[in-house]
Amino acid sequence: MNPHSSDHPLCSDHGGEHPTVLDLPHVPLGLKREWLDLETRRHFLGQGVKALGWAGLATLLGRSAPNLLANSPIPGAPAFLPHYAPKAKRAIYLFMAGSPSQFETWDYKPALADLFDKDLPESVRGGQTLTGMTASQTRFPIAPSIYKFARHGKAGRFISELFPYTAKVSDELCVIKSLHTDAINHEPAILQLTTGNMFPGRPSIGSWLSYGLGAMNEELPTFVVMTSKMPHRTNVQALSNRLWSSGFLSPEHAAVALRSGSDPVLYLNNPKGVESDVRRAMIDGVNDLNRQLFERVGDPEINARISQYEMAFRMQTSVPELTDFSNEPQSTWDLYGPKAKEPGTFAYNCLMARRLAERGVRFTQIFLRSWDQHSNLPKNIKLMAEDSDQPTYALVTDLKRRGLLDDTVVIWGGEFGRTVYSQGTLTPTNYGRDHHPRCFSMWMAGGGVKPGMSYGETDDFSYNIVKDPMHIRDLHATILHLFGLDHSKLSFKFQGLDQKLTGVLPSKVINDLLA
Amino acid sequence: MTSWLSRIFSVARFVRSGNASPSARRPSPLSRVGRQGVAFLAIAVSSARAEDTFFAKRVTPILEQKCVVCHGAEKQKGKLRLDSFAHLMRGGEGGPAVTAGDPKGSELFVRVTLHPEDEDFMPADSKPPLTPDEVKVLELWIAAGASEVIALAAIKGAPALAAPKAAVLPLAPDWRARAPQIAQLEKALGIRLVPRSMVATDGLVLRTASSPGRCDDTTLAKLAPVADLIVEAELARTKITDAGLAVVGTFVNLRVLDLTRTAVTSTGLNDLLALKNLETLNLTATAVDDSGVAALRQMASIKQTWVFETKAGGADNPTAAAKK
Repeated sequence: MNPHSSDHPLCSDHGGEHPTVLDLPHVPLGLKREWLDLETRRHFLGQGVKALGWAGLATLLGRSAPNLLANSPIPGAPAFLPHYAPKAKRAIYLFMAGSPSQFETWDYKPALADLFDKDLPESVRGGQTLTGMTASQTRFPIAPSIYKFARHGKAGRFISELFPYTAKVSDELCVIKSLHTDAINHEPAILQLTTGNMFPGRPSIGSWLSYGLGAMNEELPTFVVMTSKMPHRTNVQALSNRLWSSGFLSPEHAAVALRSGSDPVLYLNNPKGVESDVRRAMIDGVNDLNRQLFERVGDPEINARISQYEMAFRMQTSVPELTDFSNEPQSTWDLYGPKAKEPGTFAYNCLMARRLAERGVRFTQIFLRSWDQHSNLPKNIKLMAEDSDQPTYALVTDLKRRGLLDDTVVIWGGEFGRTVYSQGTLTPTNYGRDHHPRCFSMWMAGGGVKPGMSYGETDDFSYNIVKDPMHIRDLHATILHLFGLDHSKLSFKFQGLDQKLTGVLPSKVINDLLA
Repeated sequence: MTSWLSRIFSVARFVRSGNASPSARRPSPLSRVGRQGVAFLAIAVSSARAEDTFFAKRVTPILEQKCVVCHGAEKQKGKLRLDSFAHLMRGGEGGPAVTAGDPKGSELFVRVTLHPEDEDFMPADSKPPLTPDEVKVLELWIAAGASEVIALAAIKGAPALAAPKAAVLPLAPDWRARAPQIAQLEKALGIRLVPRSMVATDGLVLRTASSPGRCDDTTLAKLAPVADLIVEAELARTKITDAGLAVVGTFVNLRVLDLTRTAVTSTGLNDLLALKNLETLNLTATAVDDSGVAALRQMASIKQTWVFETKAGGADNPTAAAKK
């Protein structure tokens, strides 16, 4: 069959040598290129490789790309500029995976004390479907917090005795008690918090910020993730890199996960006997080959690979300096506590987060797991609080005294709330709590968030929200706003949609939270 | 959408019925002049004064934003135009739009305060309704006599206008004209000059985080062509000294300055006194002391200074370093 013959028009699945779409007569070149671009995307999608739009391509090409903004020929500018001047330049997200109970932490419910072991009124639950873990319980006995609350700070906020340190920075915090989520189980709920969607494959918040705003420090990743050693291990959720992946955005926007120990980034060091200049020459050679390949097939993924080689090379210098804590003054150790010297602890990671913030890393996410207290809650939540309270306080305090809190937003919280009723046997000293997506508490501090305020209210059972509900999407919209980004405009074309962190359902910036 | 609208509406209703003070409803002396008199006065008052009237400052913007698209030069639904005082007073096919001194008897006011699902509700066709504040402004203005010339200050109790967003105030000249120079400087000096936002008059951030070691006093000196564009200077951990601060002192539009962990001293800080817009200054881990910091803290523009890990007062109690 001769593809050139007039009875056989071109067909896209034709194998072997054949004219390309560019050879078609009477078709404007721009259209042909668009077709070719789509075809390339289909080709790579078919192989399970992420596809990229031209906006992402421009970011990838980085320093040499023509800027996307009209009248802005500055090379290296990111895909977007802030839509308005930002309040926050960086964020540190302390992710309390497993979900701390709101009852023992931020949502004070004194009236429950008189309702110990009483049944939760059916009208409160309103026929809600429960998880398989408690759905078969014959009773839903109310479990008041065994931990006491006291007023703290100028705002007189009630804070649990579990957080004596964090209570000292109460006036820096904006506590939100009315968050709600769509998911009732950990994995989808954590994904929704980190990526805006319960299904895997979406870019994480940090990836969106990297894509939208670019790097402040090109020697370090823009998005860093750390997981923390746990003071105890019960119901530990698996964490995977889909929580910090770049999804359909270029891979360079994914987080670099710093490991604890002597080798924070695996395979970063040169093998024994390989000097830096040899490594440089090797990378140059590989990059050259990659560039040739890019010129031939035009796949932007290749440029992502090139930029990752370059980033790794730069990190060979920047990471050792970052992780060398020897120049920290004694005041640092006094503040963060002795555990901060032990790599991988939450305290160590908080100090690392401050060092990353100083060096211009935009988004640092620290995971601390094992807050999932279905049983033995009083004992285990105390272990978790003891491990994390002082470092959390230290981080906020340290950022503040170093002048970094003004433009760094700190976010603390889990993926959902917990039930007012006890899971399993309730005794005066012991109980458990099941998952509860209808309301939960988080706090934010710094970065243009109104300090000392509380937002939202729940009913007496912290079961339903009675004032100012705030969906995860609203949280995301608000975080992006702090960075000067309009969540409805920060988008990336993928699968025929302008994909956004906040998706397509209604979401809004909570202006009341803004300083 | 509907419930959202009705919530806005109920707020509007509340504001209208609950907060309008009796005094605001009393016709002002001016309204006694009557409509013809007002028209006469409007001619008599010089045009230079027009900007200071309540009508021009508060009423016109609402009409232009919410009404004129259907009641203006292009469309005249119901034969009504609201794009000038004269047109407004002429009314439409249903009669006059405004009865001076009587908001509830004024079609303009009634129509914007109906239930949003009422077919006579304005703006029609689900166009953005008036905010409670805007409703209040119309009410006060009509109650005070619906005058074109009444002074802005003469009507008390009008909701404050939303403060203009910082972004719209020019912080620096438009950088776009100097884009080629900016690109050249970035390349030559190994620094970044990043627009703070899409608003071209929001100025630039001088960013050195990628290689602070490359930025020293001579680097700063070479930034003279863009000195007035720099609104934030991130100089932490750079090699700059007091000599560099003399250059920073020429960044006339500088608001945010980070000198953390640099070799600057109190002597150099004197050069910063020239920066009339400087709001925040970070001196963490520098050799400064009270002799240099005290004068800076007296500057009218300064909102915040940080002196942690220095000899300056307040180091142990950083909150004391905040002026407010």
